Amino acid sequence: MNCQDRLHRGRSPLDVSRRWFLNQCGVGLGAMALRELIAADAAAGSPAALDPMAPKAPHFAPKAKRVIFLFMAGGPSHLEMFDNKPQLAKFDGTLPPAELLKGYRAAFINPDAKLLGPKFKFAKHGNSGTEVSELLPHTASVIDEIAVVKGMHTDAFNHAPGQIMMSTGSMIFGRPSLGAWTCYGLGSEANDLPGFVVFSTGKKGPSGGNSNWGSGFLPTVYQGVQFRTGGDPVLYLSNPEGVDQAVQRDSLDAIHALDQHRLDAMGDPEIATRINSYETAYRMQMSAPDVMDLSREPKHILDLYGAEPGKGSFAGTCLLARRLLERGVRFVEIFHEAWDQHGNLTADLKNNCAETDRACAALILDLKQRGMLDDTLVVWGGEFGRTPMVQGGSDGRDHHPNAFTMWLAGGGAKPGISHGVTDDLGFGVADQKVHVHDLNATILHLLGFDHTKLTYRFQGRDFRLTDVHGRVVSELLA
Amino acid sequence: MMMDRAVGTGPSRLRASLLGLVAAMVAVASAATARAGDLGGASPSAPSVRFNRDVRAILSDKCFQCHGPDESQRKGKLRLDTFQAATAPASSGDPAVVPGDPEASELIRRLTTDDADEKMPPAKTGKPVSPEEIKVLQAWIAEGAEYEGHWAFIPPDRPPTPQVSRGEWVRNPIDAFILRRLEAEGLSPSPEADKTTLIRRLALDLTGLPPTIAEVDAFLADDRADAYDRLVDRLLESPHYGERWGRIWLDAARYADSDGYEKDKPRTVYFYRDWVVRALNRDLPYDRFIVEQVAGDLLPNPDQDQLVATGFLRNSMINEEGGVDPEQFRVEAMFDRMDAVGKAILGLTTGCAQCHTHKYDPIQHVDYYRMLAFLNNVDEAAVAAYTPEELEKREAIRRETAAIEEGLRRDHPDWVDRLRSWEESAKTPGPNWTVVRTDVDANNGTGQKHTMQEDGSLLASGYAPTLHVDTFTALEPVPAVAAIRLELLNDPSLPLNGPGRSTKGLFALTDFQVEVAPADKPDQWAAAKIARATADVNPAEAVLEPIFDDRSGKRRVTGPIDYAIDGKVETAWGIDIGPGRRNVPRRAVFVLEKPVSFPAGVRLRFKLDQRHGGWNSDDNQNNNLGRFRLSATDAPDAAADPVPAAAREALAVAPDARTPEQAAALFAHFRTTVPEWKGANDRIEALWKTHPEGSSQLVLRDRKRETHRLERGDFLKPAEVVQPGMPTFLNPPPSTPSPTRLDFAEWLVDRKAPTTARAIVNRVWQAYFGTGLTATSEDLGSQCEPPSHPELLDWLAVEFMDGGWSFKRLHRTIVGSNAYRQSSKATPDLLTKDPFNRLLARGARVRTDAEVVRDVVLDAGGLLDRTIGGPSVNPPAPMFLFQPPASYGPKPWPESQGSAKYRRALYTFRFRSIPYPVLQAFDAPNGDFSCVRRSRSNTPLQALALLNEPVALDAARSLAALTLKEGGSTDDDRIAYAFRRCLARRPTDAERQVLTDLLHKQSARFAADADDAAKLSGGAPDPAEHASWTVVSRVLLNLDETITKE
Repeated sequence: MNCQDRLHRGRSPLDVSRRWFLNQCGVGLGAMALRELIAADAAAGSPAALDPMAPKAPHFAPKAKRVIFLFMAGGPSHLEMFDNKPQLAKFDGTLPPAELLKGYRAAFINPDAKLLGPKFKFAKHGNSGTEVSELLPHTASVIDEIAVVKGMHTDAFNHAPGQIMMSTGSMIFGRPSLGAWTCYGLGSEANDLPGFVVFSTGKKGPSGGNSNWGSGFLPTVYQGVQFRTGGDPVLYLSNPEGVDQAVQRDSLDAIHALDQHRLDAMGDPEIATRINSYETAYRMQMSAPDVMDLSREPKHILDLYGAEPGKGSFAGTCLLARRLLERGVRFVEIFHEAWDQHGNLTADLKNNCAETDRACAALILDLKQRGMLDDTLVVWGGEFGRTPMVQGGSDGRDHHPNAFTMWLAGGGAKPGISHGVTDDLGFGVADQKVHVHDLNATILHLLGFDHTKLTYRFQGRDFRLTDVHGRVVSELLA
Repeated sequence: MMMDRAVGTGPSRLRASLLGLVAAMVAVASAATARAGDLGGASPSAPSVRFNRDVRAILSDKCFQCHGPDESQRKGKLRLDTFQAATAPASSGDPAVVPGDPEASELIRRLTTDDADEKMPPAKTGKPVSPEEIKVLQAWIAEGAEYEGHWAFIPPDRPPTPQVSRGEWVRNPIDAFILRRLEAEGLSPSPEADKTTLIRRLALDLTGLPPTIAEVDAFLADDRADAYDRLVDRLLESPHYGERWGRIWLDAARYADSDGYEKDKPRTVYFYRDWVVRALNRDLPYDRFIVEQVAGDLLPNPDQDQLVATGFLRNSMINEEGGVDPEQFRVEAMFDRMDAVGKAILGLTTGCAQCHTHKYDPIQHVDYYRMLAFLNNVDEAAVAAYTPEELEKREAIRRETAAIEEGLRRDHPDWVDRLRSWEESAKTPGPNWTVVRTDVDANNGTGQKHTMQEDGSLLASGYAPTLHVDTFTALEPVPAVAAIRLELLNDPSLPLNGPGRSTKGLFALTDFQVEVAPADKPDQWAAAKIARATADVNPAEAVLEPIFDDRSGKRRVTGPIDYAIDGKVETAWGIDIGPGRRNVPRRAVFVLEKPVSFPAGVRLRFKLDQRHGGWNSDDNQNNNLGRFRLSATDAPDAAADPVPAAAREALAVAPDARTPEQAAALFAHFRTTVPEWKGANDRIEALWKTHPEGSSQLVLRDRKRETHRLERGDFLKPAEVVQPGMPTFLNPPPSTPSPTRLDFAEWLVDRKAPTTARAIVNRVWQAYFGTGLTATSEDLGSQCEPPSHPELLDWLAVEFMDGGWSFKRLHRTIVGSNAYRQSSKATPDLLTKDPFNRLLARGARVRTDAEVVRDVVLDAGGLLDRTIGGPSVNPPAPMFLFQPPASYGPKPWPESQGSAKYRRALYTFRFRSIPYPVLQAFDAPNGDFSCVRRSRSNTPLQALALLNEPVALDAARSLAALTLKEGGSTDDDRIAYAFRRCLARRPTDAERQVLTDLLHKQSARFAADADDAAKLSGGAPDPAEHASWTVVSRVLLNLDETITKE
């Protein structure tokens, strides 16, 4: 529990943890009652009552109960992957129309940069006939499960601000991330794992760093917890050398007993929470290595993803994400920072897609065959797209905020549609624009929230993920 | 019941207040009786409803968004935040508020109507006004609808100390304010905590460190009447006091050791951190503390400390990722500084007014930019800062140099004549040069941005590539060219004033090439071979510093100017002649083998090859030119002017018009031209060789810059120019016609500033009691939580100012109160009536801040290195965190050796993007933005960090060893010793039993498992015994109480 929790407003008391509620309503809760509470929780296998991460009901019946966000950091080229622009091929090597570039700011390229035709071929796929490039054969094979959003646009054209914008709805550092808002609103079903788990699988970490999964002004319990695929999945998960399971249990029993004595003496419910935190930590020590052990997956599943146990990869991490969600984790985010193709566009995209395409599709198939796709939202995309204009010689594109593509699958997103149209050059959105705020409003809607009402008061203002913006994109809803 | 507003308020008070009011309306009872349970001290004739206490929160929360100060958002032209506006006829006809007549007031009608179209607030706002709230509004209108300014915007007056029935409990006025509220609520204060609890509480609160066993024993044995006060004095005099309270200020100052954003490069700013610690230790009055941080550079003859203090505003993040527009992020930094001034000093939210007029508080959009204009008038400078020893050394060099020069003048009475004749010979600086203006980054795709300055020079900023060649093409042709001059210039935006971009303000020019084309055939570029080069500085060959390692394995060097024309990628021209005089303008001249001319003129193109940086452009490894200017001449045999810029400047001034500095600069150069003075010159050179390196520190440097109001806060949408100025709703602005940043700073801490003192005393209170008197310590504006004890807040603010803004005095007052000394035991009754202890019928029991958690553990283990100040340290951390893919770029984390890895957590190096994991787990903010209220979470990750983190394990092992060595000979004694090292108190019998059982069980276990015993004991002499005690110690270090202030 946190000192700020009592500042929550506009929330039903039932949403707030039981301890707080009981106290608030004058039921009174001595050490004895607390002990019973813990015992009851232990019996029920749930630490929820003492935990701000206790599951909570959203504003209305949700379509999605959990989220996997595949954050393709760096800015994947929509023009090579999802947004087929024959006209761009036609005008390859020519200057773009001057009026198009009026007021346009680019990170690297000059105003006289010429257009660069798409590097890959597109074809229609599935019953929906959605166009996908040859780079993504696996994604193409599940395209009927996907809502492709081609009309994305954002405010930032540098990586760190762009990523922070995508993650928190603001370019200014210090706002809570989508995952943090989700856990603030919904809590988590996992009683021995964090509610919000983050991986980084690219060649480097995301530009925006920790703030991409930060809790901002929300209580810090809602921030993402970094997992990694090798070594301890969570920092400090393993006992020190020489401390085996029995010693650890003895130690925790002693800590519990001594904390209990203090609770009896002082009556501070925070001690009960502490006892509970230690028990949860112990359970996490048991469960996290287990959930992270891919060798427990059958071969056909490993093959489906293209994952190999013991080898950290995007594919393996997608499979881990599914395993975590199965155990009640609310929000898994995989940052794959690899898509900043200022040069070497052709070869890098081939590599990146080879590394990620199969696993993205596998995730959809696997969730579906487990009956989880209906209430699991998968989001794919980066912080912005790339310029139709060339950077460098003839094999690079610069950052581009005006138009880019993302996709949604499952969790109440409308399957098998292509939403939004860019202009002939893929430079701007011609129809059905979707701003980052709109995407966030839509994601929150799928999670059962009115994005204008999921608020947290800070500095005298009710803050929202969508600030004062955002519109639920109803065409994206199933 | 749970009213919306009640959530943050200490529900019982609101409940009492509102229920009382409702009762008053219904029963038309006398106000005094009806509100018997409320505080407020109203006389019987006072109205039962007070605007600030009862009404403002409702209107502000439910109405002001559309009917408040922000004109652009105003609906129906109706404004409810002033008496005049609310009582004037509205556009719909009737006045919203008719004083004395709720029935006739449109406001009430619209709140109570059943017509959904008319009903206010509109349903879609989701903020319905409750029936109780409507009754409050009715009562307020009935009593005349009197408005009050927001309480926090009215300067505090010292309220009278209330009379209470249990006067014997009142040790100072704090207690009277607390007790009156308790009595009103039917509660009694708790008994005083025992002495052991008190000394641990005081030590943790005042120094962030637990007391030693000896200190506890001494305090227990001290039965003098003033033992407590003596203890407080001792703790306040401890140098660790400044560390503890400095850390709290550093949160507000968003201190970190790195730049943030993608690159998040290390920066050297610990001088600021140490300044804060020392300022608090010497009890620098808070008003001066603020003035020095906001405008120390503008004080008369500022000393180094006053410059360093301005690092406060410079703690903003810096974005140097590839392709950024530096101006965009300079403006972002200005917003960040406004936010920091708002939160840390004013206790106000300013951010809203960045985009539009504040919806709740009277901060106009333009006010925001007028305040910003004070902060905008600066250069982002970095200066060399020196330790006291280094400052002494510098002074010695200056003194001895002056003495040697004085000696020369004394021994050579004809020196003036010789100087004058040299001046004659040196008068002409060389041929006439034509400045060549070039394009900027048309041909450079590195992501580094160059901007053309008024003098024709180029200034590099933004991303700093480390291995690159920049090309610049002249905009206009020259008739003919025989030589090119490259000038390197200082600029305040460069590290240590430049002229380069390396952390020392240096650069290395790997190669310089010139190409020419006929102006009428601009694509026919041809190389113009350089025959020879001269420079005003030609240091000896030196191997590059390790930071510039490019992983090529080659021996890369800097040296004289010839190295820039030798075509070798391993060699470069450098300018480093050592600290103290390396950051000066430089010049080089490149003479073409053959002069070039074309009938239509000559187009020039320059290639500046800068490949002497390191391999990692995500670190401080650039060795780039910072500010430079290119010129051309057709004169033959041009050479670099050997006279340094400062001396050249002096030469241009008539001898008797020269300032002492100019005369000194001239003589300092002149003496080096006299061959027979070689001895003296060599001695001075030797002195310079002893000059200390110093550290860099980010500071402010005043300059003029035009500030515009920015539409929606967008730096690309500048509106009208604004002049620096203060908003008018706080204390009156000074009468000076054009106020400076120093005036702004003084205004912030004016005795009449209504929020400044309240904001800081509220945060001090928060640090002691877990929650401020108003919980929303970052915002005292009209949306803030009404204070639990408004008069106490005012009393403390006035007391603080009247006491000379002395923190130590304030601390004495607070810890001297009985309120502070209470036991923190929470009875079920108290938990029910006051779950969050806002009424303070008991002492505060709060988990300590992240840094204190770490320090307590280290100290219990006897490991804590109490060294104060200096560069930040790198305690053990999982190295993968600092490497991709966990980190964006590879980050240096040179693990500290010896006791340095056990320094106080205050000194842990803080990368913004990779927070130190243990501190992050315990809610330390990462410095991205100003934080005046930390979260205080209680999580499984904290448990894992305390159980398993290597440094925590070191502490457990060390506590075990200490216990065996010094804890006595029996298990009981040893358990008591280890227990007291963690908790100060002795264990109860039951607690001792738990630990004894644990010990015996582990002893048996480790006796049987030598392998595990050896591993856990980490090489101690008796592994089984040490391992068993390590388990016991680890348990003690993991107790809730160990990391809690009781």
